[in-house]
Amino acid sequence: MTVYITSTGAFLPGPPISVGEVEGILGAVHGKPSSLRVQIQKANKIETRHYAIDGNQKTTHSNTEMAANAAEQCLDRAFLTRDKIGMLAVASTQGDLPAPGMASMVQAELGLPAIEILTTHGICSSSMMALKAAWNSLRLGDHEAAVVVSSELSSRLLKKQRYEAATESTYASKRIDFNTEFLRWMLSDGAGALLLQDKPAPKGFSFRIDWIHGFSHAHALPTCMSVGSAGLPDDERTWQDYDTYGEAEKAGALLLRQEVRLLDNIVRMGVDGYLRLVENGISVPSEIDHFLCHYSSHHFKDKILDLLDAAGVGIPEERWWTNLYTRGNTGAASLFIMIDEFLRTEDVAISDGDTILCFVPESGRFNTTYMQLTAVRS
Amino acid sequence: MNDGEIAIDGSLGHTEPLNSKNERDLNPHAQRCLQQLLRVWLGFERDLSTVPLLRRIDLGTYTVNDHLCLLRNLRQQVIEGSRWITRTASSFDRDHAEIRSTIISHAVDEHRDYELLEKDYVASGGILNDILGMERNVGSEALHGFLMHRSSRPNPVDLLGAMWIIEGLGEKMARSWAERIQELTGLGEDSTRFMTYHGHNDGDHMERFYDMLNEVCVDELTVRSIIKTSRVVARLYRLQLEEVEHELE
Repeated sequence: MTVYITSTGAFLPGPPISVGEVEGILGAVHGKPSSLRVQIQKANKIETRHYAIDGNQKTTHSNTEMAANAAEQCLDRAFLTRDKIGMLAVASTQGDLPAPGMASMVQAELGLPAIEILTTHGICSSSMMALKAAWNSLRLGDHEAAVVVSSELSSRLLKKQRYEAATESTYASKRIDFNTEFLRWMLSDGAGALLLQDKPAPKGFSFRIDWIHGFSHAHALPTCMSVGSAGLPDDERTWQDYDTYGEAEKAGALLLRQEVRLLDNIVRMGVDGYLRLVENGISVPSEIDHFLCHYSSHHFKDKILDLLDAAGVGIPEERWWTNLYTRGNTGAASLFIMIDEFLRTEDVAISDGDTILCFVPESGRFNTTYMQLTAVRS
Repeated sequence: MNDGEIAIDGSLGHTEPLNSKNERDLNPHAQRCLQQLLRVWLGFERDLSTVPLLRRIDLGTYTVNDHLCLLRNLRQQVIEGSRWITRTASSFDRDHAEIRSTIISHAVDEHRDYELLEKDYVASGGILNDILGMERNVGSEALHGFLMHRSSRPNPVDLLGAMWIIEGLGEKMARSWAERIQELTGLGEDSTRFMTYHGHNDGDHMERFYDMLNEVCVDELTVRSIIKTSRVVARLYRLQLEEVEHELE
């Protein structure tokens, strides 16, 4: 069974927030401006982003609401009645509730009756996991339509109160704790949704899904991006091992961390995965018309470009497309938000038969995922 | 530990494991070979993270004792390294005079590198006789045995695969180990001179490497032999680093 992306939707909460306004939303920790913010923002080159919290760090939209809003827009644009939807797959780094799965909550919000649901848990690549599972369900003929949603509300992890409460953490004891602060100036909120169907849309462009592949390197590499530990090499406790959640928070076990020194591995493993696909004849670099690459920061773009070139599998820069700089790095939601805008933007001319390569690397513990789409015009 | 001194706007390490070479400059076989060599390298580099001693560099628990152990175990490989390189040079016939010259000059550059390693060992608090008296570990035996065997065969072009891995590692030591080791152990720059010196030198070596690859890698058979040897060397080099731990037991 051939499967198509026949509709897309996105939801970005609140107004676009400029570089200089970011700290006003997330809050200055103990009232002191960050000494790392400018440096990190300069490197990631993200100009505007969105937050589902306000300047008092109060949540304006839940993660479930954002996911549902993106799905609603996707379904409103579809040539399909909602009773045809057999499956809902939802991806997020952290839903509003640790349990049950976020798909239950989004289903309830959307009011889709008696469907099959799937929640995938991970970081950026959880979107691709959800998409692959839904794609496979349709390929097997289990359903004729599925909605896949990815949504992130990371600002709740990044607001000043989280850092102020971590009184016994590395963040409190060090002059500068780069690993703990890094993601604060990188991530923001948003949701994206895709509708999958077993036939193309009757009008306009659909994207046929040609293949989805992933390679995870957790067996060899250490954890690089995480929430749940205090970030001390000798302390193996995770957040639920503390007597109280209060103690875990004080120790900094609830802060979002990035082991910045390990980050280069994601570029290497990203290129390694692409070389595997080329070697096996799955992808042909010269046949790619558009490359939608989820890089978390502009900093990594040139590194990926250079290494692909060095390996002789370069994709010319003019074929790269991203909306990272205006929509922000929304983690798992990034790819779907990117596909949604790519389909609508006038910056790019999409032609019938165009090949689109999508790449979502996840630094969590180094999972790299790839997808090829073909544009089909009805 | 990370104290925020990382400048992420350009110096977060170099992602290119080795100097990049534009595909236009290489013949199609050499280009395909380079692509596969890169895959072997990326796998090797990733798997180095599973070696307990090196994982401690990643995790921030590497100690002075770890460093002394690493240096002790590297010395034999460095000494033997100059031997297989010179043997390789002598195994090329006059139809390969160009590559022979390149390899000879490479050997001249490196054949006394082990002396630097010995000085690093002493500067790190080790006793000179301990490193001088160190035998090849189990992995070094295997690696050395394989390299001497291959280099004794006529025109051993497959050893470009060995150079790729070993030079790449030299560059990696300079790029991501040396400074980190100083930071974790509190040792000075004189504890990692071998790593940094070796890395700087390897930039030139890689340029020469691409020229050699372009010259000798002109058919599929050669591609396969270079790749095979690179994979064997990658595995045996990792074995050598894994065996470092056994000395501690």
